[in-house]
Amino acid sequence: MRLGEALSKIDRRIVFAFMALVVIVPFFLPLGILGRVSRPAQQVFDAVEELDPNEGPLLMSVDFDPQSMPELYPMLTSVLRHAFARDVRVVLMGLWVTGVGLGEQALNEVAPEYDKVYGEDYVYLGWKPGFAAVVLGMGKSIPETFPTDHYGTPLESLPMMQGIRNFNQVPFAISLSAGDPGALTLWIPYVQSRFGQKLGAGMTAVSAADAYPYLQSGQLTGMLGGMKGAAEYEYLVQQAGYSTAAMPAVQAMDSQSMAHLAIILLILLGNIGFVLTRKRRQ
Amino acid sequence: MKQTIPRLLCLVAGLVMIVQFFIPHSISETVFAESLRWVRIISAFALVLGVRSIVFHHGTKVRRKSSGWGYSVVTLVGMIVMAVVGLLGGVDPNAPKLIPTSIGTFSFHMQTLYENLMVPLGATMFATLAFYMASAAYRAFRARNKEATLLLIAAFVVMIGMVPIGSAIWPKLPDVAQWLLDVPSMAAKRGILFGVALGIIGTSLKIILGIERGWLGGGRS
Amino acid sequence: MHVFQLLTTAQGIWIWIGALLTLFIFSFLFGDNPLYKFAEHLYVGLSVGYMIAIYYWNFFKPDLIDPLFGQGRIILLIPALLGICYFAVFIQKASWAVRIPMGFVLGWGSGVAIPAILQANIIKQIQGSLFTTQMLARWDTIVWNIIILVGVITTVVYFFFSREQKGVFKTISNIGIVYIMIGFGASFGYTVMARVSLLLGRLQFLLRDWLGVIQY
Repeated sequence: MRLGEALSKIDRRIVFAFMALVVIVPFFLPLGILGRVSRPAQQVFDAVEELDPNEGPLLMSVDFDPQSMPELYPMLTSVLRHAFARDVRVVLMGLWVTGVGLGEQALNEVAPEYDKVYGEDYVYLGWKPGFAAVVLGMGKSIPETFPTDHYGTPLESLPMMQGIRNFNQVPFAISLSAGDPGALTLWIPYVQSRFGQKLGAGMTAVSAADAYPYLQSGQLTGMLGGMKGAAEYEYLVQQAGYSTAAMPAVQAMDSQSMAHLAIILLILLGNIGFVLTRKRRQ
Repeated sequence: MKQTIPRLLCLVAGLVMIVQFFIPHSISETVFAESLRWVRIISAFALVLGVRSIVFHHGTKVRRKSSGWGYSVVTLVGMIVMAVVGLLGGVDPNAPKLIPTSIGTFSFHMQTLYENLMVPLGATMFATLAFYMASAAYRAFRARNKEATLLLIAAFVVMIGMVPIGSAIWPKLPDVAQWLLDVPSMAAKRGILFGVALGIIGTSLKIILGIERGWLGGGRS
Repeated sequence: MHVFQLLTTAQGIWIWIGALLTLFIFSFLFGDNPLYKFAEHLYVGLSVGYMIAIYYWNFFKPDLIDPLFGQGRIILLIPALLGICYFAVFIQKASWAVRIPMGFVLGWGSGVAIPAILQANIIKQIQGSLFTTQMLARWDTIVWNIIILVGVITTVVYFFFSREQKGVFKTISNIGIVYIMIGFGASFGYTVMARVSLLLGRLQFLLRDWLGVIQY
């Protein structure tokens, strides 16, 4: 087989094995490369940093399910750590029915680290059907949209929900979204546009590039893009002294870097093979 | 009548919602608030369609002992177990309802099943794509012309610039990648966004006015 | 050894189960096989069962059953009856009634979407493309915003298929293609990141939580 053909027809199993090696080795031999925090990620951090603990809560929406967990779950836990460390109250909710358990998992993991009390420092509203009808309803009245929390407790009996009527009492909201319903399809058109809600987003990398028009127009105040965004936020929270917890997204960045280089190498090899084969045929 | 009533409901609901947006009167706001509650309630019942579809599809396979019917049993058993544990055990592990959700330290509460069964399965479902994507990119991504080459270069810049190794290779690379995302890529996305937005508005109008009737289903009735 | 010590605790047994299910899904890399099929079918069943439970506890009970039967809010019977029309799917002759709630929700959703999309995705985006005094303050923001404006206009022109692309129209369209290729390239780069990230998450679980061979 000629060189050109050999380069463009490497067996699939070798490609799989190469990829597996490239991503596993850095876990054992970390490169320790620290990247830079991007401007959109810094904006989200700054917005949470500016929240006054004596004013309204931070609202976070878990708009993803386990399929996007590696990218978005680290964002959820690191933002929770940031808020709790600053004694900012948190209201958590979800628009994906199969993501409800992830919100509970995150709260069960993070709240005890900061001795936070349910009902006083954080509340989990759970999920409701209806997509746009839910967020529009919250714009009218959060207690009417969520008469009880996820556990069936009437909202009016929860101390921190006293006086929280609608988005007017929410200084900043973050949607961690994996698609539709999510930040781009629901929170921006129905909440940010209609109610002027200050909104940040955490996106899977697949849709992160689509968020830039909203960043530029000011409809989004910051964006965490993919696992890199999660790593940036984990790093910022740790650097500010708010957390000493593990940083899984940061740990994965070496493997991420090597995987990207590996895929570029594979694409280049394929193209070199393609060029050589085409020249030989000419 | 079988088509007229649904189309009429669609028309009335759509027009009322469009008009309501521009009328700040209290009656308009009351109608809007009540409609939100109605839509949430009606939307919830759509669960019936999903459950019926799964049960019918897998139930039929089991009944006919079709090829792979054993896997359908797995699906149905999984669904029943999770639903029973969830419905009868409740969502609060500290306040179980009709059935206990743990034996000693071994919990089988809905949240435990979610974290230890659904999460590993769901999170791994798309993890294998990394391998297929690498293989597909290697085999198919060819710089056959100027446009494809431009796409490839932009992809490489973002792939390297947006991960930590980018700043180790060239300190300015993350800035170049960020500029690419902030300026030319953003401009293209905005242009596409206009097109998509106009498409959504057009389709919504067609649905409301009954021009688009695909949702009514096929056949005569 | 960590991986075997796990079997002595309840949580450890669950980690083992999660690890095995993870490996079952990964086995698809070697081709479709019974282990993968089992895991896939289990996931579908568990998801539907979970949805049923969440629908009841998060919605039906607090938003319909309690207000209707506990607080006597009879007006909720109207949307409830409309929703019950979905059950008509089980009755062949009455299955057309499914269209009634569908029609209402679709019409409502379309009506609400039109002003929202107009406001968020057209008006606000046009505003974002306009030059402001803040943008004109520095030379680089002026240049970048000219590039953005050119890109937005040329991209929109490219997608205007109702008119034949020739002459000046074609030149403008070709400039649009340049921007679109850069946009798609950026998206592809990000998509690579996404797919790799999902793999890394599972590897961390296997190597750290299950095998215990790496720490944070």
